[in-house]
Parts: sequence; C-alpha cells; structure tokens
Amino acid sequence: MPELTFLEAIRSALRDEMTADQRVFVLGQDVGVKGGVFLVTDGLYQQFGEHRAIDMPIAEAGIVGAAIGAALHGLRPVAEIQFADYIQPAVDQIINEAAKLRYRSAGDWSCPIVVRAPFGSGIHGALYHSQSTEALFTSTPGLKVVIPATPYDAKGLLIAAIRDPDPVVFFEHKQLYRTIRGEVPDGRYTVPLGTAAVRRTGRQISVFTYGLMLHHSLTAAEQVAQEGIDVEVVDLRTLYPLDRETILASVRKTSKALIVHEDNLTGGIGGEISALIGEYAFEYLDAPVRRLASPDVPATAFNEALEAHFMLNPTKIAHALRELAAY
Amino acid sequence: MSMQTDTSLASLPINDPALPRHRQLGLSDEQVLAALAGMQRVRNVDDRLWQLSRQGKAHFVITSAGHEATQFGCAWAIRAGHDYSVPYYRDMALALALGQTPLDLLLHGMGKPTDPASGGRQMFGHFSSRALRIVSGSSSVGSHIVHAVGLALAFRITGEQDIAAITFFGEGATSEGAWHEGMTIAGVQQLPVVFVCENNGYAISVPAHREVPVRDVATKAAGYGMPGVIVDGTDIFAVYAAAHTAMQRARSGGGPTLIECKLHRLRPHSNADDHSKYRSPEELAALAQHDPIDKLRDYAILHGLLDAVQWQVLQQQIKAEVDAATLAADQVPDPPLESLYDHLYGA
Repeated sequence: MPELTFLEAIRSALRDEMTADQRVFVLGQDVGVKGGVFLVTDGLYQQFGEHRAIDMPIAEAGIVGAAIGAALHGLRPVAEIQFADYIQPAVDQIINEAAKLRYRSAGDWSCPIVVRAPFGSGIHGALYHSQSTEALFTSTPGLKVVIPATPYDAKGLLIAAIRDPDPVVFFEHKQLYRTIRGEVPDGRYTVPLGTAAVRRTGRQISVFTYGLMLHHSLTAAEQVAQEGIDVEVVDLRTLYPLDRETILASVRKTSKALIVHEDNLTGGIGGEISALIGEYAFEYLDAPVRRLASPDVPATAFNEALEAHFMLNPTKIAHALRELAAY
Repeated sequence: MSMQTDTSLASLPINDPALPRHRQLGLSDEQVLAALAGMQRVRNVDDRLWQLSRQGKAHFVITSAGHEATQFGCAWAIRAGHDYSVPYYRDMALALALGQTPLDLLLHGMGKPTDPASGGRQMFGHFSSRALRIVSGSSSVGSHIVHAVGLALAFRITGEQDIAAITFFGEGATSEGAWHEGMTIAGVQQLPVVFVCENNGYAISVPAHREVPVRDVATKAAGYGMPGVIVDGTDIFAVYAAAHTAMQRARSGGGPTLIECKLHRLRPHSNADDHSKYRSPEELAALAQHDPIDKLRDYAILHGLLDAVQWQVLQQQIKAEVDAATLAADQVPDPPLESLYDHLYGA
C-alpha cells in the first residue's frame, strides 16, 4: 500500500472522485492553474480542465454560494476556502443557505456540497492564517463538520463527504499536510461520517481530541504510559453530529475525561463533550472533566515565543494527564 | 460595455409597428388574457392574505402588489421546469405565473404541512418548487443571487445549452456583499444568468437615494462586464421584451444581463409595516396611478381582447376561485408534532 502525506491523501480523494464522477468539481481561489496555495489541488486543472478546477475571484460568499447553486442542479461541488480564517464571509451561505435547504423545502431540495478549509496554527500564520473556526459550525443542524487526523481518514472521509447528500464543512490541519505520512489505499474507499475512532485503548483516562491534537495526545499518552498511566485516545473525526455512543462508552470505561483541542477554550467543542459526559455519565466519573485548549485570545501571535506559548504540545497534554491521573 | 436604455425587439418574432404591441412581441390574445387573469388572481390572494393575517390565520404577509407586470412579463420569458428561477420574497406573482396555484400560495401563507414551498416551515414569501425549478430561498437579503450564478456555472460545467437561470431582487439587495460577489462571478465567467432588479424605491422604509448611490441600478452593470437595461416595470410588454432578449442572450452563450424594472410598491412592505410613516400622503394617493393590473386591463379593453362586462365576470370568477382555495387551505390540519425533526438530513 502506498505511503502518502496527509496532503497527498486529500488530493488523491479529489482526483479519484473527479475521475469516477463527472459531477464532482473543485472551485476556489488559486485552486486551478496554481493548484492551491498549499498545492492540495495541484494537477487537477491540468487533468480535468478549467471547468472542473475553477479559479474564482476573492469572494468567499460567492464561492460557497456558487457551489450551492451548482449542487441544486445535481452537481457535487468541492469548494476550497483558502484559510479557515476567511470562511467568515461565507458563513451566511453555509449556515443560512446550505445547512437549511433540505429542511426549509421539506425535503424538496438538497445541498450536497463540501467546503474544505485548512485551519490551525504552527506555521507562523499569526492571527489570520491560523485560526480554528470549527466552533462556528458545530451548533448548526443540517450541517456536518469533519476534521480528519490521518492520511487514511483524510481520503476516506473526504470521499464520504463528497458522496454525502448534505453539506459538509471539512477542516484540514495545515501542519499535518506535509508532516504526517501513512498508508493510503489506491482507489476509492470511504470512512463513515459521524463515527469517532479509538486510536489507543486504555483503562484510566479517556482523551477526546481531533486534528493535529490527536498526534500530540498520542505522543503524550506514550510518555505517561512509562509512568504507569494508561490512557485511551479517541479521535472524534466528526465534530457535528458528535459520536455520542463512542464518547460515553469510553468514559464509562475509564471514569476520567480530558478533552484536547486547539480551538479556544470557551465555546469550543470541549464544552459540549463535557456537558454530554456530565449529563449521561456522571455516576461513572472519578474526577471532574478536564478541558485543555488554546487560551481565550484571538489566535496565535506572529512572535515565535508567543506562538509556542499559545500552542498545545505533548508536554502540556502529558502534564494534564498526570494531574488527572493523580486526582 | 455601455448601458442600454432601449428595449430592442430585434430578437423577437414579429416586428410590425402596425400590430398591437403584444402581437409585435409574438404574444397571442390568449396569453395576454391569461396574464391579466393571473395578475388579478394573485392580487386577490394578496388581499386575502391580509384579511387572514387580521384573523390570525396567516402570521406574515408580504405583498407583490405593484410588481405583477414585472413578474408576469418575466415569466413569459422563462420555461418553467427547464430554466431556473431564483426569486425573492416579493415574487408571489412570479410563483403563480410559473405554475403555482392560489391554493399553493394560501397553504404557504397559512403555514400548512401541505405548503409546497416549505411544508409550513418558512414564513410567507419563500416560494419554492423543484418541479417548476423555483429555488427555495432564505430571508437573508441578496444571498440567493449567488445560487443563480452557481446554477449557471453548472450549465457551463455540464455543457448544457439553451438553458438559463434568472434571479430577482429589490434595489435594496444591490447593497449586499453577496450581490456584488454574484455579479462579479457572472461577469468574469460570462455565465448564462439574468438579474432582474424590481426597483420599487424602498428598502422597507429607506428610500432609494439613501441606499443606492446612483440614480439607476442598471448603471451598476457596467462594473460587472454586462449590459444594464432599464424598463418600466409596470409595462408587462416592455418587461417581457427585455427579459426575453436577456434570456435568449444567456441561453445562446451571450452572457449575463442586468434588467432594472422601475415600479411602485402599492402596499406596505409587510403586515408588520405602516408605510404612512415614511411616504407622504401625496405619494400614497398617487400610487393608484401605477397599478399594473389597471394598465393591462385598459390595454386589453382598448384592443378588444375583452370588454368591461367580461372583466367584471372574470373578477367574480377569480374571487370565487380564491374563496374556494381559502376554505380548502383553512381545512388542512396542523402537521404531526414529531414532523419537526423531518428532513434534517438525507439518507
């Protein structure tokens, strides 16, 4: 099985689906001739032509709105927002339009679009090239919010998102693009949306996380394992709707929960998971649910020292695990 | 590209100045009479919805009174179920002209489960029918423009010929960012889409000179690489000529057009509005002179398509029809409460 980077896995999903299904096309800023600022769509313009790898003006609402219109005619658009920080102008299109088309027409219309956006810090992107904006969308019925962490999942989840009959916002951690490699099958396969994956089984603490933080959490779990702390790590993969069963089953087994995300502490998905555990697994808990998240400041700073201080890392996660183990 | 203020009939079937205008445009007497009846029918539904709102049976009414000629004139240029129409909340007459019925509109207004637009989920004014290719919209002003552009983009991708999208909005929507983005994309790609501005001079209460920085919305087209056309939106034939030309241009690969239809909103914005707070008594008194139904009726009588007695009979027939539709809609029971959760996600 070939080893691909996270980025190559995403490109492979796009190319395979575009080859197999004439309805699939990509649109966004710089996605055509240039192949995207991160080169995710590199080669698609050359292979599929200007009508299926469409360079668009700097117009995020227009990009997503045009995708919605094309979906209404039966196509399967994959819109790219160049950075998750710039998804805001398209929020009305995603939340008020795409997410509600099926519901507001009582099932007469549907809106099978994918909106891809690179997110997250760690590449010196400062305030406007490193935000985690997923919480904007994780309280919107009608929408699905997907964040892969491995190359295998990136391809399988993206293909599932393209084939899904409803709109999917698909966030890709930009630090994973070239730092993570993994086995990715040739050809088309799907990883189901709405299901979390247990990446490491353990008995003492459950970690719930996604994206880059999955890898940091796994590293931290290995570190504390040498100290006799046995950690289970759950990769959420879909943030909305949440896989409640997997979350609750894990915490009922371990009795302690740590939620790790790069998004800000307040309003991040950790609050929802914490409430879920409090409501449905309270009597299983041996410690308060703990959240480890980025501080409540707008985003990471350009200054390297401040950037490092802002970012979560395996050391910080290991520290939180030790505290929770000792509770 | 320069702005066109003429409504060239060059692409229309017959060009004989001796003929009545509708015949010059290739429209039959029957088509004109059907449009006149349709405009009167939708006005009756409009009247009825205001009554129902006072009875607490329709919780929101938004009028199309004054806009009927524009919407019926455009509908003549649209092949319903083939071309896509992307309307806004003022387009009740368009929905009827494209094939919806008074019962459909009343079910929508009364929020009934059999409302074909939304199953009783959207407040009145959100017309939709996939079969007629009338696209469901939200209440966010201007956000639907880009959907028409995306539909036109889809035709480009699939290589379909002889099809176009047409979208409708007030002059107030032309201030919105999504409007600008949609116009930009349509102009850059020269897509098969027609933009129809129903300029009634008010964004609820704010007059055009406080919301549009130029006298004519059509002049904005120049900034988007497409022609802008101005027509009298109370003149159904002028509107049809412009819409037909623009749709044919779009369908044949000629690119987008912006049509500005200047007209008058004869009633308050909605049943929650009192337009006497921002329109002078003189202005309100003069509105009756701009009723497009009167205009088309006079034309039909002048050209012998019907006489005054036949007009009276027609009005009575329409009233009876709307009465019957009202009773039928009123009898539809509320949906089962668990249907609140239906149609959230597809299978």
